[in-house]
Amino acid sequence: MVNLTIDGRAIQAKKGCTILDAAREHGIYIPTLCYHQALKPIGACRICVVEVKPGPPRPLPACATYVAEGQEVVTSSPKLDAIRLELMKLVLINHALDCPICDKGGECELQDLTHALGVSVVDLEAVKLPPHKDYVSELIERHPDRCVTCGRCVRICRDRVGALAINFTLRGYFTELASGGLPLDCEFCGSCIDICPVGALINKVFKYRARAWEVTRTEMVCPFCGGGCSYELWTKNDRPLRVVNYDTALLCGRGRFGFPVVESPDRLKTPLIRENGGFREASWDEALDQVAAKFKEITEAAGSAAIYGVGSPRATNEANYLFQKFFRTGLGTHQLDNPGRYTYVQALKGLAAVFGFPQVSGVEKVAKPPLPFHSPLTTTEEAKASGFPLVLGKLKDLPKADVALVVGADVTPELPPLGWALNTALERDTFHLVVANNRKTKFDRRAHLSLRYKPGSERLLIAGIIKSLLTAQPEWAPTVIAGGFDEFKENINKVNLKDVAKKTGVPEALIKETAARLAQAQAPAIIFGSELMGQDKGLENTLALADLFLLVGRPGAPGSALYPVAEKNNTRGVCEVGVMPEFLPGFVPLEGAEPGPTLPEMLDLLEKGDPKAPQALYLLGGDLLRQLPNRSRVEKLLKKVPFMVVQDAFLTDTAKLAQVILPVAVHAEQEGTFISTDGSLGLLPRALPVNGVRPDWQIISQIGSKMGFAMSYASPKQIFAELALGMPRWAGMAPKNGGAAFTAEVTGQFVPFETDISLPGRRPFTLLVGKSLQHSGSFTTHEPCGTLTITNRARLGLNPADAQNLGLAEGDFAKVTSSQGEISVPVTLTPELPEGLVFLPEHFSQPAAQRLTLNSNLVRVTIQKG
Amino acid sequence: MDQERLDTILSRYEGDAADLIPVLQDIQDQYSYLPKDELKVVAQKLNVPLTRIFSVATFYKMFSLIPKGRHQIRVCLGTTCHLRGGPRLMESFSHRLGVEPGYTTKDMQFSLETVGCLGSCAQAPVAMIDDKYFGRLATDKVPKILKLYKN
Repeated sequence: MVNLTIDGRAIQAKKGCTILDAAREHGIYIPTLCYHQALKPIGACRICVVEVKPGPPRPLPACATYVAEGQEVVTSSPKLDAIRLELMKLVLINHALDCPICDKGGECELQDLTHALGVSVVDLEAVKLPPHKDYVSELIERHPDRCVTCGRCVRICRDRVGALAINFTLRGYFTELASGGLPLDCEFCGSCIDICPVGALINKVFKYRARAWEVTRTEMVCPFCGGGCSYELWTKNDRPLRVVNYDTALLCGRGRFGFPVVESPDRLKTPLIRENGGFREASWDEALDQVAAKFKEITEAAGSAAIYGVGSPRATNEANYLFQKFFRTGLGTHQLDNPGRYTYVQALKGLAAVFGFPQVSGVEKVAKPPLPFHSPLTTTEEAKASGFPLVLGKLKDLPKADVALVVGADVTPELPPLGWALNTALERDTFHLVVANNRKTKFDRRAHLSLRYKPGSERLLIAGIIKSLLTAQPEWAPTVIAGGFDEFKENINKVNLKDVAKKTGVPEALIKETAARLAQAQAPAIIFGSELMGQDKGLENTLALADLFLLVGRPGAPGSALYPVAEKNNTRGVCEVGVMPEFLPGFVPLEGAEPGPTLPEMLDLLEKGDPKAPQALYLLGGDLLRQLPNRSRVEKLLKKVPFMVVQDAFLTDTAKLAQVILPVAVHAEQEGTFISTDGSLGLLPRALPVNGVRPDWQIISQIGSKMGFAMSYASPKQIFAELALGMPRWAGMAPKNGGAAFTAEVTGQFVPFETDISLPGRRPFTLLVGKSLQHSGSFTTHEPCGTLTITNRARLGLNPADAQNLGLAEGDFAKVTSSQGEISVPVTLTPELPEGLVFLPEHFSQPAAQRLTLNSNLVRVTIQKG
Repeated sequence: MDQERLDTILSRYEGDAADLIPVLQDIQDQYSYLPKDELKVVAQKLNVPLTRIFSVATFYKMFSLIPKGRHQIRVCLGTTCHLRGGPRLMESFSHRLGVEPGYTTKDMQFSLETVGCLGSCAQAPVAMIDDKYFGRLATDKVPKILKLYKN
C-alpha cells in the first residue's frame, strides 16, 4: 500500500493504481472526459489535471499518473479550475449544442461536465467545420459535429473488439472520427456507441424512443451466447428499448441489437393443439390437461420409459432442473438429454475421461438463510475439489495466460467475450497467440503463429504437436500429474510428423514451432469451439486437446486452462443441472440405474422401430430440425413419434410437428439463472410483462402437478434454493460469480485418441456449417431483431477462385448437393476461405444447412450454378 | 482499377503491416494520389484495416486522396520564410496559377501547397517545385519559373 494525501485527506492506495483510481475509491471527484475505466488511460483531454507534490512544476493528468509514497495531490485550485474551464471552452468551441434532439441528452458526460465546471459562456471562435454526418450506416448513426475526439470509440474498437472500424482522420483542429468516408462495414457490435461520452455515435434501434431519465433499468444477463455478459435493460411502458453495459461498454451486436426479438410478431401467444391436420388455439388449462392426460395414458400403456425429454440450452437452470426432476423423480426414468450432445457434451465427456468426474469435499450449509439466487452452501477451510470442471478456464483469467492455442474456433462469432479477453491479453508483449483453423479468422491477423489445416484434421494436428514436443524433448514429463503416460507415448510414437504435415496441410516447421512455444509456456491456455466439438469425432478431438493439456498445462497458474466454447446462454447450465441421461445434477454419474438413451441413440431407436423407442417426446424448446445434423432423417423420425409436446416461443419447424405447443416466456419475461461458458451465474430478473405466455418452469411444474408429482413451486427462487443445495461445487455461488474457490487437485489420465481424419465421400468441396457473427441459434432470426439488418439470410461463403471456376459471382444462386440432400443458396465471395472449403451459417431454416449434413458439421458437397 | 500497376508496387514488399507507409508513398508517386479502390486492395494485402490506412493517409501531408497536378509547388511558410516574405510569394503563385493553396489547376499541371519548413532557412524565402529548390525567391521571378514547367 502507498500513503498519500488528496486534498489534505490521508489516503492509502494500492501500489500501481493511478491518482484517479485512488480518488474515486475514496469518493473524491475529479472530472474526466477521455478516461473510461475499461480502457487504458491516454491522458489526452487534460480535464483531469491535478497538482502533485513532489512532481514537475505543472499539473499532471490524474488518469495517467501513478500514486507514490508521500505524494500530496490537490484536485481543485483556482489554477486548475482555470485550466479546466479553458479546456472545456476549447472542447465546446465547435460542439453542435443540439442537446434537445440529441439522444445522449440526460446522460451526456459533456453536459454533466459543462454543468459541473460552470462553463457559462464560450468566448472563443474558430472556423466552422462541415459535419460529415452519417445516417446511412446500419444500426449506428454518426454525428461528427458532436464529437469531442476523446478517442474512446477508436480505442475500444481497436483494443477490445479488435475491429478498428473507426479511426481518426486528418489532424489537429480538423481531426475527425471516420471510416474512410464510407458507411460502416464492421462487426456492428455498437460498443463505440455506449463508450462515447457524447452523442456522436447514436444507437439507431433506440433513437428518439425515450430519454435517459424516463426509463426503468434492470440489470440482467444477456440471453444469447454463453458469454454471460451482464447489461442493463431499459424499459418504458413495459417495452424493452435498449441495453447498455456500463462496466465495460462491451457487448456484441446480437446482445446489443438483438433484444427486440422479444417483441416479434412471430411469437406464439396461446397454446396450440393439433386438430384436423392444423393447429387450433386452446386455453392453458385445456392444453396442460391434454398433455398430462396423454402422458398418463402413454405411461399406463407402455410404461414411464415411453416418454423422452429433450432439455434446452436456452431455458433457465431452474426450468432444466425441474425438467430432469420431472423425469427422474416424477416418472422414475432417465430418458432425457439435451441438444448440446452433438457439440458441448462431446467435449465434457472427453474432459471427464481425462480429468475425471468432479469430487467435492469440505462444503457446509450456511448458517442463515441465503439471499435469493445465492447458494445455500459455503466452503470450509478444508474445501477441496477435483475433476474436469477445475480445468475449465474463466474468461477474466484468460489475459493472464502467456500462450493461447486457439483450435477450431472462429472466436468472435462463437463467443465475443472470448475475443475481448484475447485482445486484452494481446496488449502484453509477452503473450503469444497461436491460431489454428481451417480458414482465416479474425484473430489470424494478430496471431504470432497461424496454422491453416485441412477441414477435420484437428486431432491429427494435435497429435503432430505432441509428437514434435516429445521428439524435441524426449525427457519431457507431463506438467499435470497423470497416469498412462508411457502407453500414450508409445501410441504417439507411431505418428509420423511428415505424414501429419502432408495430411493436415500444416508445414512441419510450424508444428514444431507451436510445440516449442507450448513447451516454454508458463501458463498455456487452450481454446476450442463448436467447429471442433460439432464433428462426429468431437469427443476424439477433445481427448487430443485434453491430453495436450496434461502434457503442457499448468492448472496452478492463473489463465492456464481449457476453454471449450459453450454455444448458447445456458449450454453449460443445462449439463450442470443434469439434463443428460448419464449425469445427475452436478455431473454426478448415474449409478444403480440404467441411463436412458442419448439423443442420437433415441433417434436410432426410432429409426429401428425398436420397442424401446419413445411413444411421446417432451421438448423444452430447441428447434431440433434446424440444429441436428441430417435434417431429413430427423424430420422423418420425429414424425414417427405419436405424441410430441414442444415448449417454444416461436412456431419452429420442429414445433410444427408437435401435437401440443406451449408458448413460453423468453428474455426478461421470466426470472431465473444461466451458467455461462466459464461457470459463472447470470441472473435474469423479470422486467417485462408475459402477455399470456408462461415461463418454462411454471409449465413443467403444472404438468408435473397434474400428473400427481410433488412439483409445486412458488417461484424460481425456491427452485434455485433446492437445486443449489444439491450442488456442492456451486458452494458460494452468487449472481455474476462462479462460486467459491476450492483447493484444486488436478490430476488426469492419458487417454489415447483416434487420428484417422478421413471424411467420407468423393465430392469436391467440403462444407462447414458454422456460426455467423450476427446470430445466435435461430433466436435472432425473427424480425424485428436488429442484427437481421446486417445478416438477413444464409449465404454460402466461397473462395473467389472457386467461384470463378464455377462461374459464380456475388449473389448468384448455387445448388449445393451432398449425399443427404440439396439446397439452393446465394453465394458470397469470401477470400478468408481456402479453396475447396465452403461455409454456411446454421441459423436459418431457409435454406436449411442441416439438410446437407450427415452426422457432423463437415460434409462433402458438390456445387453447381443455379 | 489498374491491377497490374498496383501489383508491381506491392510485389516490391513482403506484405507486412509495417510496409504501409512505403507502399502508400509509392502509390502516391505513381498515381499522384491515393485512389480508394487501390487502398482497399492494399488493406487486404498488408492485413491492415482500411480505417488505419485512411488515418495514415490523411495525417501526412505528402499523401492526397484527390488527384494532384503534374508538378507540386511547395511554398515555405516557416518562421524565417514568413519573415522574409513567404506570404507574398505564396500570394504571387496563387495569383499566377489561379488556385488557392491546397488545390490543383484546372489543366492538372500544378498543385499548390504551403509547408512548415523546407530546411533551407538561409535561402529564405524558399519554394520547391517537385524536387528542385528555389531560394531567395522574389515575386518577380515567379512567372519565369512557372514558364520553365509549363510544357
